[in-house]
Amino acid sequence: MNETKIVTKDLEHKFISEFQENQNIIHKVCRIYTNNQEAHNDLFQEITIQLWKAYPKFRGDSKLSTWMYRIGLNTAITLYRKSKRSVITQDFDSVLHRIQSSDYDNTEEEQLKLMYKAIHQLSDIDKALIFLYLEDKNYKEISETIGISEVNARVKMNRIKTRLRTILNP
Amino acid sequence: MDELDLLKKDWKKQDDSFQKLSYDEIYKMIHKKSSTIVKWIFIICILEFLFWGFVNLLIPDSYFEIYEKLHLKTLLNISYIIHYIVVVGFIYLFYKNYNAICVIDSTSLLMKKIIRTRKTVNYYVYYNIIVTIILSIIINFMMFSDTDLLVEVFNPKHLALADDKLFNILLIAQIIGFVVMIGFLLLYYRIIYGILLKKLNKNFKELEILE
Repeated sequence: MNETKIVTKDLEHKFISEFQENQNIIHKVCRIYTNNQEAHNDLFQEITIQLWKAYPKFRGDSKLSTWMYRIGLNTAITLYRKSKRSVITQDFDSVLHRIQSSDYDNTEEEQLKLMYKAIHQLSDIDKALIFLYLEDKNYKEISETIGISEVNARVKMNRIKTRLRTILNP
Repeated sequence: MDELDLLKKDWKKQDDSFQKLSYDEIYKMIHKKSSTIVKWIFIICILEFLFWGFVNLLIPDSYFEIYEKLHLKTLLNISYIIHYIVVVGFIYLFYKNYNAICVIDSTSLLMKKIIRTRKTVNYYVYYNIIVTIILSIIINFMMFSDTDLLVEVFNPKHLALADDKLFNILLIAQIIGFVVMIGFLLLYYRIIYGILLKKLNKNFKELEILE
């Protein structure tokens, strides 16, 4: 009994340390799927719980990051139920606060703002694809994560890109 | 520069902009309760199993006396035995499907498994409704085919009430009860699963088109 407790504590410590280092992956998932801080925190919490629940089964035969992408996206797309608190608001400024202080010129800043707004209008599946694209994942990895063929992932991605461009340049 | 390239460039710069969580904050987080669609489906399904079980238990003994008088007791007993065997089968299937749900599967497979779990319980509900309909038809048919016995059972004191009037009242009551029950069930499933599975179904359909 005592031994299992120690093992659990060890596992917990290992998980928290590894997760802490890689937490940006989950923050980025939340950035794509939510548009205010409260909703962000809510989804972040749910994904963290799901990761911890699945952690004992994590064998290390895939990279920890790959594993986190999967659980993060699955939680956001499939498992997560929006809590009542996180009503959809148009709080895009919180997403873009960093841009103000950086070295972008006004046109670029404006374009980015529109870009993020356009992404938030996409469907859950499209968001997953664009997210993996932004994370520089290849089509093989994208198709395996979502569970569609590589060809279809490619076709779908091109459609999303076209759609985003039309939203920006009507 | 293309907007998408611009976005990609900006996307990579954002790492420092997040509120990083500390060790303690993460520790607290993993000890909180999760609230996922799967969990809700699980809870509701268990309640549904219990509900249909309780409905059978709640029927008072006096009810069975009427059936005994109407010579329907054997039929009911046999149907109960078959019913409980079927229920155990359903519960086994439900657990098998529920345990197969794995968060590390691909999104499309995960959705399929959740929908399969839900479908098992849907079939259970359909089964209950269909069995209720069939039994009602058989019982009503047998009840109303022997008017003398029917009057004897439902009006044993021979109150001043015309026999055909009693017959009509009973028939109408049965039909109204039946319609109300079906209506209530349809409404229940529309509301509960309409809300719960809306997002899942929408996303699943989108992926199905892609496959």
